[in-house]
Order: sequence, then C-alpha cells, then structure tokens
Amino acid sequence: MELIDKLSILADAAKYDASCASSGAPKRSSRGKAGLGSSNGMGICHSFTPDGRCVSLLKVLLTNFCLFDCQYCVNRRSSNVPRARFTPEEVVRLTLSFYRRNTISGLFLSSGIIRSSDYTMEQLIQVAKLLRETYQFRGYIHLKAIPEADPRLLEEAGRYADRLSANIELPTLTSLKTLAPEKELGTIHSAMGYMRQRIDAANDNAERDAKRLPRSANPKRMAPTYAPGGQSTQMIVGADATDDRTILQSAQHLYRDFRLKRVYYSAFSPIPERPAGLPQAAPPLLREHRLYQADFLIRGYGFQAEELLNAPGNLDLEIDPKLSWALAHRDDFPVDLNRAEPAMIARIPGIGLRSVQRLVDLRRLRRIRYQDLVALRCRLETLRPFVVTQDYRPADAQRDSTRLRQSLTQPQPAQMALW
Amino acid sequence: MANASMGPTSSAAWANDFDEWRTQARRLLHLGAPPASVTWHDGNASHDDLFSSREPPSMPPGSPPAPIRIGRDQLTLLRNVARYRVEGHDPPRWPLLYRVLWRWAQGDAAAMHPADVDGRVLHQRWHAVKREAHHMHAFLRFHRRDDGRGERYLAWFEPAHDVLDLGAEHFADRMGGSRWIIATPRGGVRWDGSALDYRTPCPKDWTDQARTAAEHANADEEHALWRTYFVSTFNPARLNHRVMTQHMPQRFWRHLSEGDLIPVMEAKARHGGQRLAQESSVGQRKGKALPGGRSALSRSSSGDDG
Repeated sequence: MELIDKLSILADAAKYDASCASSGAPKRSSRGKAGLGSSNGMGICHSFTPDGRCVSLLKVLLTNFCLFDCQYCVNRRSSNVPRARFTPEEVVRLTLSFYRRNTISGLFLSSGIIRSSDYTMEQLIQVAKLLRETYQFRGYIHLKAIPEADPRLLEEAGRYADRLSANIELPTLTSLKTLAPEKELGTIHSAMGYMRQRIDAANDNAERDAKRLPRSANPKRMAPTYAPGGQSTQMIVGADATDDRTILQSAQHLYRDFRLKRVYYSAFSPIPERPAGLPQAAPPLLREHRLYQADFLIRGYGFQAEELLNAPGNLDLEIDPKLSWALAHRDDFPVDLNRAEPAMIARIPGIGLRSVQRLVDLRRLRRIRYQDLVALRCRLETLRPFVVTQDYRPADAQRDSTRLRQSLTQPQPAQMALW
Repeated sequence: MANASMGPTSSAAWANDFDEWRTQARRLLHLGAPPASVTWHDGNASHDDLFSSREPPSMPPGSPPAPIRIGRDQLTLLRNVARYRVEGHDPPRWPLLYRVLWRWAQGDAAAMHPADVDGRVLHQRWHAVKREAHHMHAFLRFHRRDDGRGERYLAWFEPAHDVLDLGAEHFADRMGGSRWIIATPRGGVRWDGSALDYRTPCPKDWTDQARTAAEHANADEEHALWRTYFVSTFNPARLNHRVMTQHMPQRFWRHLSEGDLIPVMEAKARHGGQRLAQESSVGQRKGKALPGGRSALSRSSSGDDG
C-alpha cells in the first residue's frame, strides 16, 4: 500500500481523539544545532479543519489493526474498516516533512493494540526514539500510553514524549464493561498513578537542579525529564447514558488524584456500521461545549463539580454553567467590585480570569466605575444584575431568578438535529 | 486639529521606528514639551509644518535631565504597540505613545491600564500585534526548493502588522540548519543556517523565488501528503464554519497549502458527508474485520501485518 493511502486511513482512524495540543513543552531550540524543531511552552494551531478543530500535530495511528472490540470505536476488531500499518520510518518521514513546511508542531502517535500491549507500546516508543535520537527532533511529541504495558515501557516513553495520555473513554465501570470489555478501569488508573509519580519526581529534580550553581560548572545538570507537558485523558460524551455530573466528578477525581493537565471531552460522532445500542445522531456538540466550560471552572475558578451540578443530571444547554450557578446563588450577589475578594469576582458571570486580574490591579490605582467594565470588554448584558461599582447598582437586583433568567437568555440555542 | 492649540513653543518630531521615536520622546520629555505641543511625523523629515521649527530645540543648558523611569514590561508594551499598522482614522502611533509616556512621567500609572482611555487602545493594539505574530508562526508555509542553488525553504507571507522579526526569530529556533527565506510585501529576511539577514524593501529575487515556489507547490510530492492528511483528519459530522473562520481568518487561506480544499470539504459535508465522522473515500475502500476474542491478547501474533 502506498504511503498516501496509509496516511488517509490512519489519520481518519485517529481523529476521534480530541486532543491536539502542543503546549506545555519546555523551551527547546535548534538554532546553531544539528537537527530540527523547537518548543517554547506555547501551542501553535497551524490550521483549522472545517469542523473548527485545531491542527497542531500530525495525529495518526501507527496501525488501526486492533485486538480490542470497544463498541464506540471505529477501529474495533469487528469493524469492517480498511486497515493499514505505518513503518516507524514512514511516520518519521511524514513528521519531519510536515514540520519543515510549518504545517505541524509535532507528532501525536497512538495505535490499535496489536500482538500485545507491551509490543504495541514498544512500537510507539521506537518512533519517538528515532525522532529524538537519530534525527534530533526537538518538536512536540505526544504518545499514547497503553495502560496494560509494563511500567518499564511507560518509563521509557516518558523520556521521549512531552505528553503521555491514557484514555479512560467511559467514566464508569458499568459503561466500560458493556462497551469496552477489554479495558479495565483499575489498570488505567494504575498507569496514570505511575505516570503521575514519575512526572512529580522529575519536576522535583528539576527544581532542585535549578537552585544548584553555577550553571556552567555542570553541563549535565539537567534532571532527566519525564513527560514535561504532563498527562491527559479523554472521555466520550453521549455514547452511553452517563450524565454530566458523573463525568465532571470523574474528571475532578482525575485532576486531583493524578494531577492530569487536561481531561478532553469528545462528543460521540456516528461511525460506520454502528453497533446496536449506540446512538446514530449528530454529535452532542453543545453538551460537549458546556462540559469544557464546566471543566474550565473547576480547573481555573475554584468551582467544585458538585456546585455546578448539585443533583444527578446534565448541565443546562441554554445558559453557561457559571451563569447557571449565579442564578442559583442570588444571595451571594450583587458583588461589590471595589471590595470583593478576587475569588468571588471570578464567580461573577461575564467576568473572566484576565479581567479579574485587571480589576484587582485597577482598584489599587483608583475606584472601579461601570465604564471600566465596558473598556475591559466584559460581557455587560450578563454581568449587569450581579455587580456593584462606585457609580452603579443593579436595578434588577431584587428580581427573582426565573424572570432574570428569561431576560438573560437569547433565543433558544438548542442542539440542532442534522437529519 | 492639534495645530490649532499650538503655541509658539510647539515642536515637530520625526521617527521611522520605535528606537528613533524613543530618542525623540526622551528629548521632548526632558524639554517638558506637553503632548499637545508636539507634531509627530511617521517617516523621514520630509513634510513642512507651518507652525514648527525644522530644527529640534536643543537641550536647555545647565542641570542634566532627570532620568525617566519606566519598567521593562511597560517598555515592551510600548515597543510592541509601535508595530501596529494604523489604518483610516485610528489615532497614529507616535502621538499616542508620547501622550502615554508623558502621563506616565507625570505619575499617572493608570495611563497604561487596559481600562484607561489611552491604555485601552495600547492593549487592543498589543493584542492585535501578538495575534498577528502568532498567525505568522502558525499559517506561514515553507515550500522546499532544491535546484542549482541548493536546498532551501521559501515562504511568502502578508502580515497585517510589523511582526517580520518576531516570526524570523521563531523560525531560526525552529528550522535548525535548514536555509530559508521569508518574503513579505514590505521587508524580507533570510536565514543561512547561522545568521538572519533583514532587507527592506524585500529584494525582488527573494520575492520572485518565494512566489514561484508557492505557485508550483504541486511539484512537491509532500504537498499531496499534507493535503491528504488535512482531508482525513477532518470530522464531517462536526462541521462548524463559524469556529473555523474565527480562528483562521479567510485572508490566510489563499497562501495555505490546504486553503483551496476548505470550501470543497464543507460542501461535501453539507451534502451527506456529515452523517458520519469517517472520510467518505476511506469508507469506500475495502474493509477488513478481524478475528478475535478475549484470548487474542495473549496470543503471540494476530493479524497485525499491514
């Protein structure tokens, strides 16, 4: 099979993984050196496909042959899809060629499980090793961690990769048992635990080394790094009946227990030859969007999953989770921007983290006025009922939440059916 | 116009770039020239100003001027704002920067805050400049040429602001020993593997090389591979035109190796492709379900020979 045919099949097979981030890598440069590639912690989106998703990495499977039969997966062994397998050299060639043309910032390599978990992991490592050692590639590498693989291999993978990810896909034991009989939640968790331990240890070493002086005295002072971009995972949304509360609580555990950098949510997209029990519907993009918003509130704003959803169920599709929380907690509002703690300002709908910082800076210089919120481009129509400034008090502070909600909602942003 | 309010002490200043502006601004600040009394010219000293003397007033004799204290972050902000290309009726850059500097020197720290009437413009421009530098890192495309003049990578890019050097530094880190040229409608830059060579205006030879390479992109086999990847990694079931154009403005499509594919892919998705996540050409190939069972994992080999 020609390389171009393999690429067509194995890129198609890999696109169900939502992650395409190239951020979080340490600073590396090839200026004046043999080899190729740089990273500076900032991710770059080199293109956007018409689905609005970023193309940052060459995202392919090494092979889509697979022993597993996960029902939601287009590459499950019972699926009648065309199959292909790259040689490691082919992946290297594509990576370097695309990279030189500035169409990608690195490689995200995953694979179907072939022969054994260890063998599969070894194959992925071989590609990363070739890139790093033979071609001195300093761009971004994201490798899939095969949870069942020997820890010795996970150790080796972390030496070459900027990021590792083991996908949990379904957040509950029951769902996994039904839809992904070969996957074990316990095994995934222990792999994540192992990676967390190694990432933490490498970070500790790096901090200790940074304090050691002088810099020039010890050229080998660099602590051996391990997946400096951290680890991430993915959960599928809408393939089974799991609700948003369960998904968010599960994400919260993952952030806390394994210090994941990111949890990705992937709206289940219809696949060919859909197995019974899986939806044949448009991917729930709006639901996915609300989950990302809630996830961001948990990571950045100090919210708990249980605050955003205090009972089993899904997030409100009509309004964003922060506004939803504020409407349910009217006693805490309006918030006086000239007095409130930054953490409380961050809870006002319509004010983002950057504006919080700017407001805190500004009130050291002078009192905050309503006009400042205009200048900072905060979402005025949303925040209006929730803030107090030197020259402004909301007229609708006493209005009940139901009516306030009606006045705040735009005409029905419902999930559209496609056919 | 500002001229109307100018007294006999008004002065004129010329600057081509930030460093020239900085020298002039420092001088005017020491002279105590308030912003309204200065007429700034962007470019060389070529215009006549009825109300100003051509010769800049010299420093007043006597005590040396007190140093102007400005933090590194503030200086970086001003320098980057100067990269913003002003269009239409937007306030020109030098008077804006001088007014901010003047206010700052008077102890008005809010002048550079994003909620301030001037600071707001500064931050909007800085944001636009950062975004354009990022666009250059992201959407510039190199085309490989290997003829009698040796292997090199050529790019044509049309930045909306003065970010060529920001892009060049980035690509010098990124491309290692590979030689490259970036040509733009204003300046150009060449990397020979060890040093950057900036030219303004861009030499015609560089422009010709870059544009020819872009027009003959098809000659490169890897070009087809990239386009294939772009089509295959797209999920038609998630079609979302608005989000795509938000992140990747249409003005860049023309010079992207994959730009002309976008409308075709969208049309195909709208006409049935959207029903599945799979690319239709992949679905048309002969499929292969695999034998298996739970015990398959422990077996030494099973259908993995692509």
